[in-house]
Amino acid sequence: MLPRRYVPPVLLASVVVIATSGLVYELLAGTIASYVLGDSVAQFSIVIGLYLFAMGVGSYLSKYIEQRLLERFVEVELAVALVGGVSAPLLFAVYTSWGAFRAALYITVSVIGMLVGLEIPLLIRLLKFRLELKDLVARVLALDYVGALVASLMFPLILVPKLGIHRTSLAFGLLNAAVALAATFLMPVEHRSRIRMRIQCVAVMAGLIFGAIFIDKGVVRAESAYFGAPIIYNAQSPYQRVVITQSPRTTRLYLNGNLQFSSDDEARYHEVLVHPAVAVLGRKPRRVLVLGGGDGLAVRELLKYDGIERILLVDLDAKVTEVFRNVPVATQLNRGSLNDPRVEVRNEDAFTWIQQSDEPAFDLAVVDFPDPSNYALGKLYSLTFFRYLRERVGVHGAVVVQSTSPYYARKAFWTVATTMEAADFHLLPMHCYVPSFGEWGFLVAGPESRVKQAPRELLLGPDKLRFLEPSLLPEMVQFPRDMSRVEAPVQRLNDQPLVSIYTREWDSWK
Amino acid sequence: MMRRRELLQTTAVAWFAEQALGDDRRITGELKGASHAVGHLLRTAIERPPSNPPERAEVVVIGSGASGLSCAWRLASVGVPTRILELESFVGGTSTWGEDGVTPHPWGAHYLPVPEPGAKGALRLLSELGVLTGWDAAGRPRFRDEMLCHAPEERLFYRGQWFDGLVPRSALSASERHEVDRFLSIVESFSERRGRDGKPAFTLPGALSSTDPELLALDRLSMDRWLREQGFSTPLLRWLVEYATLDDFGASLEQCSAWAGLLYFAARAFESDQLGGSRYLVWPEGNGYLMRGLRDLARPEIQNAALAYALRETRDGVEIDYVDVATETTRRITARAAVLAVPGFIARRLVPKAPPRLERTTSSWLVANLHLRRRPDATQAWDSILYGARGLGYVDADHQRLRDGERTVWTYFRAHGGADTPGIRHGLLQKKWAAHASSVVADLAPAHPELSGELERIDLMVWGHAMPRPTPGFLGDTPWSHPPMLSRRIAWAHVDLTGFALFEEANAHGLRAAEAICDALGVERGETWLGA
Ligand SMILES: Cc1cc2nc3c(=O)[nH]c(=O)nc-3n(C[C@H](O)[C@H](O)[C@H](O)COP(=O)(O)OP(=O)(O)OC[C@H]3O[C@@H](n4cnc5c(N)ncnc54)[C@H](O)[C@@H]3O)c2cc1C
Repeated sequence: MLPRRYVPPVLLASVVVIATSGLVYELLAGTIASYVLGDSVAQFSIVIGLYLFAMGVGSYLSKYIEQRLLERFVEVELAVALVGGVSAPLLFAVYTSWGAFRAALYITVSVIGMLVGLEIPLLIRLLKFRLELKDLVARVLALDYVGALVASLMFPLILVPKLGIHRTSLAFGLLNAAVALAATFLMPVEHRSRIRMRIQCVAVMAGLIFGAIFIDKGVVRAESAYFGAPIIYNAQSPYQRVVITQSPRTTRLYLNGNLQFSSDDEARYHEVLVHPAVAVLGRKPRRVLVLGGGDGLAVRELLKYDGIERILLVDLDAKVTEVFRNVPVATQLNRGSLNDPRVEVRNEDAFTWIQQSDEPAFDLAVVDFPDPSNYALGKLYSLTFFRYLRERVGVHGAVVVQSTSPYYARKAFWTVATTMEAADFHLLPMHCYVPSFGEWGFLVAGPESRVKQAPRELLLGPDKLRFLEPSLLPEMVQFPRDMSRVEAPVQRLNDQPLVSIYTREWDSWK
Repeated sequence: MMRRRELLQTTAVAWFAEQALGDDRRITGELKGASHAVGHLLRTAIERPPSNPPERAEVVVIGSGASGLSCAWRLASVGVPTRILELESFVGGTSTWGEDGVTPHPWGAHYLPVPEPGAKGALRLLSELGVLTGWDAAGRPRFRDEMLCHAPEERLFYRGQWFDGLVPRSALSASERHEVDRFLSIVESFSERRGRDGKPAFTLPGALSSTDPELLALDRLSMDRWLREQGFSTPLLRWLVEYATLDDFGASLEQCSAWAGLLYFAARAFESDQLGGSRYLVWPEGNGYLMRGLRDLARPEIQNAALAYALRETRDGVEIDYVDVATETTRRITARAAVLAVPGFIARRLVPKAPPRLERTTSSWLVANLHLRRRPDATQAWDSILYGARGLGYVDADHQRLRDGERTVWTYFRAHGGADTPGIRHGLLQKKWAAHASSVVADLAPAHPELSGELERIDLMVWGHAMPRPTPGFLGDTPWSHPPMLSRRIAWAHVDLTGFALFEEANAHGLRAAEAICDALGVERGETWLGA
């Protein structure tokens, strides 16, 4: 046991650590909550309120602790170390894998708050025989506030930028465990549980250090669990997060967490996107415009026609096209289509491009944008956009537009159709089953009414195709009763009914 | 213990919230519209007579606002060249715009609702600019889709949450909803109503509205009184209507004539499929787009930083004296005719002999352009309004873009609608940049607490005399009866003639003055461009 005169300094020093770490856990919870749930002010104020309340509960409960104060203090401190230390990684894991995030957040905050609330009263009682009351209260509270100040300054300036959220959490757990360990040295030698408690402290510290070392791997693992397969590529572009996962069997692309394609069945999607439209065009295309489709898979299909002279691909996100030009798994899938000398890639907004372009007309335009889930994307399905699109293909040209699921979002699909007709397109709606997505819809269209005739032949031999064959075509243009045409409005820039129709329909399946 | 601790922590959090997203470059900006001081030269009547030999011009237009430019456009159409003297360093008056930053942005007028059938001049202008693309068989105009406000047009921040549109229906109680619906149905009936003279009850330009005494009687009430007489009492509905009277007229409910207040809601004649969505024409630079269009069509010779201070009619023309503000020299122009496209209180000082008789109360506005590194939230509308805020919210200058972009400029408006207009004006002009800027940021904070982290710059404009206010009784006993000519060769064109400030009014007054000048000078001008 340490000499008695060391007791007050050691305990008072621990006040600073306790106050600092208590506030840090609270700030961490608030930060994660605003990151996950948005609205930082609301999240911070809920977390602070709950935390302070829990502290009050803890302080009150302290009166029920009557004996072996130092021992209890060590235990409480260790519990704070453990719960607080793992709080950030734990909350993150809950968010990515289980989903009951709010419950986990509030429980964690309450538990930490209660434990921290217990600490100060215990400390005061431990010190009460060694210091005069006025001195005691003055010092403990002053140090408590100093700790709070230290935490609130360090948190934004040093901790989050240098250590990151997870390591900050683990590091402060470590500090709390160190306080617990130090406190064991204040115990009388005859105290039998002394050794056991030290072992516990060391174990907790070792665990937290281990966590700090391997946390990055853990985060990746947690995300892999979220995506259901190992992540082999992960990047953030100005527009979206690009993730490629690979299991032994399947490669998948996710943009902002939404599945774009799966190598198992992307052939279905891309063959149906491209080849029926070429058949409707009635000749092998020479000049083709591809809007969206930065993965190069539609381009791969187009390059199967020998007459191709030029393919212009306009995709907003340079990151995506770069990945599909350079990353081996990606170029295996698209067979290096984006590196073909006949293909030009432009990273521009498609609407701006189409408004300003003075390229000579294309034979075929393949439009493969994300679904109209927000107003920014909705513009790419507007009457104005389709009018421009019509100008970009010659009078004898054809276009095809991916247009969400006619089954899951029936009215949305027919809204796109109605809008294209308002832009003076004649239509041939088609659908096909893609296991990853379900029943999917495509609108083949052109300025001439002959496009309404379903094609009977494809202009490509069976050896070049994985899924499509001419005998499937008649069924693809038949819309069974549960997908058949419904009355739908026109999508205009100044009134985008499609966005609310689309979100309502998809949400109804959740 | 708890309280002090809480205080410390919340302060830390607020500070953290401020620091977290942006780097801590300090926000800068400037206060524009410094010409108040120059304008007040007018009060201290300039003694020194012009020294240089007089310059010569055909027609001099004083003021380059919507009225002045419309006048120049009409005169140019018959081959009469104009010279414009403009006090400010910019063109466009209260419809001016800025071009610095990522996107052009408005400094004042920021939208034009699809004009009424009688606003012939405005419709003609839109068609010359290619905004109006044609007329369908039923006689309804078609517009360029890109220029109608893209969805979503407006949103309201109400009790901690954004709602689509101005009315947060799903958050209202049954009685609130009932009042809103009842109000809208009254307004609806006014928009279909015609007076006993067969004219529409409310239309624009205002002069084409019915003068049925029963309708004009509404002008004797304030909007506040009218609402109370009709039994409207929920704070939400009153807020909604006051938002409108402030936004269009810079007037509180008590300060606004009920006739004008109802006009805001009831004037809209054209209906078509295309106008089923937004009927607002919107450009990044706001009505600056129209000012630029008028300038390019009219090609007047514009002289900025030129303060006209006296006009005198001579036997065969007009002498105009002005200060060249840059060199502080006084000069004289002799012209065949002149148009005062300035507010009434200035016109009265320029031509003491033939003063326009209309006295108007004028409202003051504060406009702020907030240059943002990044929009603080993903849902974007053109117009964002905060319930219970001091200002009218903001419009996003980059809303009509068709590309994706994070940086933008928000134009924030605050209309001062109270009765003590001189006091308010004085207070506004006294305040420094920092005080204005922080009050703007604070006003938006409930919806955008993290705004300051995204701000690059806040520029401000205080419009001391922003617009005439249609106070109760503003129509007078014989509404719309003021002739454009103040004397044989001097015309007056300004929204003060109407008593409320809208583009259609300014445009009509400009055209009317130009046509009257043509008649006075014996210039063949063909058919009138104005509505009957
Ligand atoms: C903040 C704000 C928002 C608005 N929003 C809208 C809107 O959204 N839609 C809409 O339709 N209307 C709006 N208005 C009203 C609109 O701006 C006016 O209707 C219109 O622009 C008025 O034009 P005007 O030419 O009659 O007058 P002004 O714009 O007042 O023009 C007068 C011009 O004369 C100049 N001048 C004055 N004295 C002299 C002198 N002695 N010598 C030389 N030059 C002089 C002034 O500098 C000014 O340029 C808004 C106004 C403000 C202030």
